[in-house]
Amino acid sequence: MLRLTIDGVEVQVAEGTNLVEASKKAGIEIPTTCYHPGLRVVGQCRICFVEVESMPHLVTACSTPAQNGMIVMTKSPRVRNARAAVLEFLLANHPLDCPVCDQAGECSLQDFSMEIGLDESRMIDEKRTFPGFESRQIGPAVVQNQNRCIRCSRCIRFTQEIFETHDLIMKGRGARAYIDTFDGRPFDNPWSACVADVCPVGALTVKDFRFRARVWHLMETPSICPGCSVGCNIDVGHLDGVVHRFKPRTNPEINGWWMCDHGRSLASDLNNRDLDRPAVRSGSTFSTLTWNEALVILAETIVTKKPRIVASANLSNEALFLIRRLFVEHLDLEVVVPTDSGAQRWIKNERGTRIESIEVQPNGTGARLIGLSMVDEKGLRDFVSQSSVILLDNRAHAWLAGPDAAAELRGRLAAVFGRRHTELSRTADLIFPTASWFETEGSFTSSTGRVQLARPGWSPVRLGRPAWRTLTDLAVRLDLPLENCISPRRVFEEIVQEIPAFAGMTYRRLSSEPGIPILKDIPHVG
Amino acid sequence: MMKPLLLRARGERNSRSLTTYLRFGGYGAVKKALIMDARDVIKEIKASGLRGRSGAGVPTGLKWGCVPKASGKPKYLICNADESEPGTFKDREIIRVDPHLLLEGMIIAAYAIDAHKAYIYIRGEFFHEAQMLEHAIGEAYRKKYLGKNILRTGFDLDIYVHRGAGAQICSEETALIESIEGRRGQPRLKPPFPAMAGLFGCPTIVNNVETLACLPHILENGADWFASIGTQESTGTKLFSVSGHVESPGVYEVPLGTTFREIIEDHCGGIPNGRELKAFIPGGSSAPVLTAAEIDTPACFDAVAKAGSTLGSGGLIVMDETVDMVWVLENLLEFYAHESCGQCTPCREGSAWALNILRRIRCNQGCPEDLETLCRIADFACRGMTICPLGDAFCEPIRSFLDRFGGEFRAAVTSGNPPRVVKAPILPTRRDQSMFAKPGTESC
Repeated sequence: MLRLTIDGVEVQVAEGTNLVEASKKAGIEIPTTCYHPGLRVVGQCRICFVEVESMPHLVTACSTPAQNGMIVMTKSPRVRNARAAVLEFLLANHPLDCPVCDQAGECSLQDFSMEIGLDESRMIDEKRTFPGFESRQIGPAVVQNQNRCIRCSRCIRFTQEIFETHDLIMKGRGARAYIDTFDGRPFDNPWSACVADVCPVGALTVKDFRFRARVWHLMETPSICPGCSVGCNIDVGHLDGVVHRFKPRTNPEINGWWMCDHGRSLASDLNNRDLDRPAVRSGSTFSTLTWNEALVILAETIVTKKPRIVASANLSNEALFLIRRLFVEHLDLEVVVPTDSGAQRWIKNERGTRIESIEVQPNGTGARLIGLSMVDEKGLRDFVSQSSVILLDNRAHAWLAGPDAAAELRGRLAAVFGRRHTELSRTADLIFPTASWFETEGSFTSSTGRVQLARPGWSPVRLGRPAWRTLTDLAVRLDLPLENCISPRRVFEEIVQEIPAFAGMTYRRLSSEPGIPILKDIPHVG
Repeated sequence: MMKPLLLRARGERNSRSLTTYLRFGGYGAVKKALIMDARDVIKEIKASGLRGRSGAGVPTGLKWGCVPKASGKPKYLICNADESEPGTFKDREIIRVDPHLLLEGMIIAAYAIDAHKAYIYIRGEFFHEAQMLEHAIGEAYRKKYLGKNILRTGFDLDIYVHRGAGAQICSEETALIESIEGRRGQPRLKPPFPAMAGLFGCPTIVNNVETLACLPHILENGADWFASIGTQESTGTKLFSVSGHVESPGVYEVPLGTTFREIIEDHCGGIPNGRELKAFIPGGSSAPVLTAAEIDTPACFDAVAKAGSTLGSGGLIVMDETVDMVWVLENLLEFYAHESCGQCTPCREGSAWALNILRRIRCNQGCPEDLETLCRIADFACRGMTICPLGDAFCEPIRSFLDRFGGEFRAAVTSGNPPRVVKAPILPTRRDQSMFAKPGTESC
């Protein structure tokens, strides 16, 4: 450990820590634009200048390793003048189009010029522009505005160092240098939108989020990406009940600072719903019911027909646990969880370890730990080939969304749960609207073996209900009350008691830690 | 006038051929060096007081001494022949006159630092010179001065010629290394210095052509002999590439410590057409300009530094009384704005900005605040504000031109007809926060 003094505050840091990180420990923020903790240090924006006693020149904090006994000054007049000068250089040719820039509100340049910049620019000449590069779509997910670029090269280093696709390069030299795709090819890789996250200004923006909302209006709810079994940590940005974007949330163990474009594209899916109240089939049409009426019919069906249950790995640990308790333990019905390995997705964590997905559903690992039986497509088709079936999530498996499933299950589908109609749901006898994962609290088990908590952004809209609530209500109708299961938190307490892999976890710990690893040495249940 | 050393073969027939070189006693120094201990070679160079001829004037022996002995990694020697500063054309002359002198120097340097691979990074525009080097290297290989087991001493050395692609920034040693590695030529952060981790992450020494060409002479005639030439701190001879308003511009070899008056008046024949000297730039375009009053400065590292400039690469640019200094500065900045690699903010934005201002002044649209802005750019883009010295390279001329010829600039801006500009504040003006110096009070 090294001891050094930063602005009079003594800190202890590990060997090899740079002054930016050391200052963070001392509670002092040093402005940086080219420095990113996940990328190689290049020290080229020159805004992170600090004064170190016994060094004649100012030094860049990002490229200077902390040394024992160092005395660092981050707010001396000399430092402030130098930073103000660098900002003046950065802003000299910057278009200052903040009112129409999507980055405004989360722009480093904007923050720093409020904090340390000069009020007026001496630049009276015409600003440098890159005609034709004002809103240039360089790939399916990213739009470039070269006029705003400050050439910090974070995006280039991201493509070179993190996912090693080497898509972006710097062309030209000096003031005319600009970012372009290698060989003029479209910038099309599975993580391309991350360059917009690392971009400190509005030069690279995510296409889907352009002109959707001002970021200072957005509510951000920490959550877990439902795109695959990896479980990247995200912040869901939403405003007035509309989800606008997913942004990666730092989790050193799972997704580092990154997330894939597929995950980001799921944001718009949360805004789509056309099932808004329970309904029962009468002939070829549906008539709507109250939840109470619908649950009574469902309870009757379960008692009389003894249907087979298709659960879903899209559901949270809590919902899956209640499914096991109610359907498997109390009612002794057959339950399966379909999974689908789907397209291989991967991400790198903070240490650069590659983390691969095993399934497209986010909670297959949780379902296995809880002890439900898993099936693939063939197993699922065999399972639903006879007797009546209740489908707890109409998007549990890709096959269920296809026309084959609708033909196969016609007349035998007792009930279906979902947010949107599929071909299959129109053949069901009973339809229930569910809440999306973003409308309910619940924990998910990542295929990396970490249990993570997803917070709800808002309460369910219309008459959609979360799965855990439907199940507890149904249990009451069946005279099999599930004791203590009055909220996801209480259900989770039950899980922790009953399933050894979850031992020692609480919601409180889950919300403060970057995921809690399951106990590996305990054999899987079931 | 002393007999030239580095350019001793100038004027000979077939001066570039190995036969001519051997007639001058060529490769004698290699024969001597390869049976010495490598440490003794370094000691000899240290004793000679040889300083790098590329601009910074770092003692060569000291630089070599920084190479870690037992890193377990291969070591590399790079000859920096990417001579691209305006006004400097001395290395080209050495390659044109006597490429074997350079090769011999490289063999000695490689032996001293225990390198078995050496590169000559030559400026892309020097196409013919690259061919000359290739030819000389071929000759040396055939006569066993290069390759495996040189002169049966068991020392191996391969030399490769690597042509640059025309960026001045690649004459900076770390950018040069990046370029050889196949990447965009951009200076690296230092430390680590190339002597510790350079080419392919291995210890690397980068020396200038002229520095390397001095080595055979030192080994042949001894360190004391070399130290006796020139002054106490600046030993040996130096090539000056003289351009501008002199009767006979060209490359001249003089002992360090010769005054600029001697170089300009005796060697180059003085200023033509009976005009007066106005100013001269002593060490390539990045060196601060000196006035006619300073012509008696001796051309050695310390005396020039005392006069407020640097000896740099020895590119002496002479300007007579007819020269418009605003135009000169614009001309210089045009080069630096074009050659800035675009990495560091102050250099990238500052050079282009300063050029814009000067262009405007030259179009008679300057305003008095422009000079303050120029001063501010020059204050905040140099002395450690950038990764490599290119920031200083464009700031020093601005500073020295405004310092020494400020009158001309003031006249140009006061007679100007500035454009009507409405200055809009960057952000809502915060009058309460007066923590920064107001415009115009910066040191200039």
